[in-house]
Amino acid sequence: MSLRLSTAPHIRSHASTGRIMLNVIIALLPAACAGVYFYGVPALNVILVSCAAAVISEYVWQKLLKRPVRINDFSALLTGLILALTLPPSIPLWAAAIGSVFAIIIVKQLFGGIGDNFLNPAIAARAVLLASWPARMTTFTAATCFSGADAVASATPLAVTENYSYLQLLIGNIPGSIGETCKIAILIGFVYLVFTHTVSFRIPVFTMLSAFVFAFLFGQDPVYAVLSGGILFGAVFMATDYTTSPMAAPAQIAYAVGIGFLTMLIRSFGSYPEGVTYAVLFMNILTPLLDRYMPNKVYGHQKAKEAKKA
Amino acid sequence: MKVTFKRGVHLSYANKEPTKQLPIREFVSDSVQIIMNMHIGAPSEPCVKKGDYVKIGQKIGDAVGFLGIPVHASVSGEVTDVARIAYMMEEPVMAVTIRNDFKDEWTELNPLGSVESVDIDKIVPAIREAGICGMGGASFPTHVKLSLKPEQKCDTIIVNGAECETHLTADHRLMVENAPRIVDGLRAAMRALKVEKGVIAIEDNKPDAIEAMMRAANGRDGVSVAVLKTKYPQGGEKQLIEAITKKQVPTKKLPIDIGVIVLNVGTCAAIADAIIDGKPLISRVTTVTGCVRNPANLRLRIGTIVEDVIGACAGFSEDPGKVVFGGAMTGLCLPRLSIPMAKSTNGIVAYNEVESRSVEEGPCIRCGKCVSACPIGLNPYQIKVFADADKIEEAEKLRVMDCILCGCCSYECPSRRWLTASFKIVKQKLTLKAKAKGGNAK
Amino acid sequence: MSEEKKSLGKVLVNGILSENPTFRLVLGTCPTLAVTTSAVNGLGMGAAATFVLVGSNIVVSLLRKFIPDNVRIPSFIVIICTFVTMVQLLMQAYLPSLYESLGIFIPLIVVNCIILARAEAFASKNPVVASAVDGFGMGIGFTLALTLIGVIREIIGSGSAFGIRIMSQGYEPMLIFVLASGGFLTYGLLLGVFNAVVNRIGRSKGEGEGA
Repeated sequence: MSLRLSTAPHIRSHASTGRIMLNVIIALLPAACAGVYFYGVPALNVILVSCAAAVISEYVWQKLLKRPVRINDFSALLTGLILALTLPPSIPLWAAAIGSVFAIIIVKQLFGGIGDNFLNPAIAARAVLLASWPARMTTFTAATCFSGADAVASATPLAVTENYSYLQLLIGNIPGSIGETCKIAILIGFVYLVFTHTVSFRIPVFTMLSAFVFAFLFGQDPVYAVLSGGILFGAVFMATDYTTSPMAAPAQIAYAVGIGFLTMLIRSFGSYPEGVTYAVLFMNILTPLLDRYMPNKVYGHQKAKEAKKA
Repeated sequence: MKVTFKRGVHLSYANKEPTKQLPIREFVSDSVQIIMNMHIGAPSEPCVKKGDYVKIGQKIGDAVGFLGIPVHASVSGEVTDVARIAYMMEEPVMAVTIRNDFKDEWTELNPLGSVESVDIDKIVPAIREAGICGMGGASFPTHVKLSLKPEQKCDTIIVNGAECETHLTADHRLMVENAPRIVDGLRAAMRALKVEKGVIAIEDNKPDAIEAMMRAANGRDGVSVAVLKTKYPQGGEKQLIEAITKKQVPTKKLPIDIGVIVLNVGTCAAIADAIIDGKPLISRVTTVTGCVRNPANLRLRIGTIVEDVIGACAGFSEDPGKVVFGGAMTGLCLPRLSIPMAKSTNGIVAYNEVESRSVEEGPCIRCGKCVSACPIGLNPYQIKVFADADKIEEAEKLRVMDCILCGCCSYECPSRRWLTASFKIVKQKLTLKAKAKGGNAK
Repeated sequence: MSEEKKSLGKVLVNGILSENPTFRLVLGTCPTLAVTTSAVNGLGMGAAATFVLVGSNIVVSLLRKFIPDNVRIPSFIVIICTFVTMVQLLMQAYLPSLYESLGIFIPLIVVNCIILARAEAFASKNPVVASAVDGFGMGIGFTLALTLIGVIREIIGSGSAFGIRIMSQGYEPMLIFVLASGGFLTYGLLLGVFNAVVNRIGRSKGEGEGA
């Protein structure tokens, strides 16, 4: 009988990359369902096309380069889904597909694949679409809820002077991106993510707190500011992307506060009505620096001051 | 109030269930093979020859050097061999093999009486003579821990009953069944060092042990029981100290430098045996579990061959893939079943074929689970990059030498990366390098 | 004679392939990124730079024995300035629309590092003919690169090439490609592709020689 030799630990947790990605996808489902309910079949088509394009482009790329095909870890599917949910329901399907291909090939695979991308692929792709077809990306249809009413194009609640009630913002039956309007669905997803230990509560909570505080400081109605636009979706699903967010607790807090601040800065003083995309991308780029300069304290390495006190 | 340390991981302790209610059972085999380097420090020198007759408790190995401790016969009978044997992965080690005649004759013992009345200057020498070393796994000679330099002062002795490792229930059962002995051992150590405060620390998943220890500690000077949150590695020395005293052991220093000594519950019981009965350390409680037919907590004579131990548990229930000394997070794999257990063997765990399968490393997705698990506060994912590239100096800058090899990062990694394993190698390389440097300087 | 010809040919190809200023030396990236929003702009910029390169290389090479080492850089700049001014005036006179769209980047050719680099690294050490060929080769390499980037950005970003609409009426141009970020993107991707190709050629050549 021969015994196998290996180094400890001899057990591993049940978590795996695929399972984590699947958890995030499950957490996104309420928001996706709400989007389909409000905006109808076009929204569903955008989601399907975007996901399919992401998975296919990852498969083709890895086949062409003779790399191990990793589409079964669901990360490409997740990228496609997140991208779709940040798009307006009226976006042409070809644009959604281009966005997904861009996210997977340019942002993810060219930088080395999963774990090596320096930007969140979905948001980078959204930024590219926004820069490429600004009109299409900022035209939103009213929520029809399958009532048979014609979808009427209008602007996002951030750009119009007419105010929606807090309740409308919370439920999300207003014009907006597919997955971003129903705050209740997003919160359900957030609770699921935290409950399954997929992400820590830190980044979403501190992003929202910081957004609230800075909205107040910049003279906006803070409640309206955090309930409108994509800040909640960004805080829960974009900012928490593993690869492009910091790991240690202090760095995560700085990162989250930065996103809230930049979002409100762009909304209040920038020329864009919405700033989450650029805020998250900007903080993505700062992530390696935050990781380096704000790590956890190492056990037994007290600072000189503390040592003197002790 | 329950206390704990920062970060760490929550393990499933379902694998403790089969043995945690089982009373400790005595098992004595036909022969024992007692190795001479069960402790850290110079190996003991065998003082018996082939053909000698030895009684239980008779000294068979002399202590060598300050760190050395003697070794005693754990059964009575004839010495059949004194030779080097292949042990774990390292060099062959000297071992004394004794065939058991089952007469159970003890050698002449020299009890010192009650721990509260014994002459305090006799305590530490008695502990050394009894051959006691740390029984939680590190096997550091206990008398050295209890010998303070003039500038050192100890104010707290912590008894480690956390048993945060998976599978193991040996300490748990010992606390339930032998609580007064553990408190006696703690009192002996406290008196020897004139320490006012003794804390018995137990995780909250062992309520029966907490209750037993509280009852035993009741009315004893300065002894209290602290309840810890169940979290791995709560029983790691540094983590335990952080949880109980809220102080951290400075890097490259020992607990005594902040006035703390940590003793395992088994060690405390052995100290009590040595003082009250004058008995040296000849047996210990070991949990035998995993894929064996009858998992058990066995009181084994030191030097019992693993194969015999498995036999005492009615053999394997399925083909084992690997057999490990210790729990799942830090245990060492056995190369074969013909080797003996030692003073620090707190568990023997057999894993079946499926559980033993090697896991394949995936790419790091920078999820940060290792960072939020590391009880020391390191960045395992980053150290691993340098470890893979063999840049050990860079890894040292990231404080890999502070790594306690607890296994939390590997356990949590969703990509199944071999983090702890590579840190172990890096640490060995750095130690060798430091030694080489020191040698050159001389 | 044939030996010299061969080496002149090598100098020419050198500037286009193995030492392509844009894709291999990564020089003159500022105009590369700024003016390549259309193929015509790229071509015009390339042509202007080629003219200056050839002219300045010839003059620097002619004067190389007379210019004291201490003041060579200012001297080179003065020579380059002369040619840039000529280009600027010619363009303003005969190609006013191109002059408009290239704008500030015409006078900025003065500080284009390709030109100064070739003056310093090649023309000041080599005879006139070789210097002229080197300038021409580098210019062609630069022009081809800029035109290529310009064509790609124009097709995707405006649906046309050299001002002629080539995409169907339904095509909605991807605006980002005529913005700065599209410039970086196209340049970066082409840089990667070009290097991969040249390296592969180099490797197969090396293997051939080895065998």
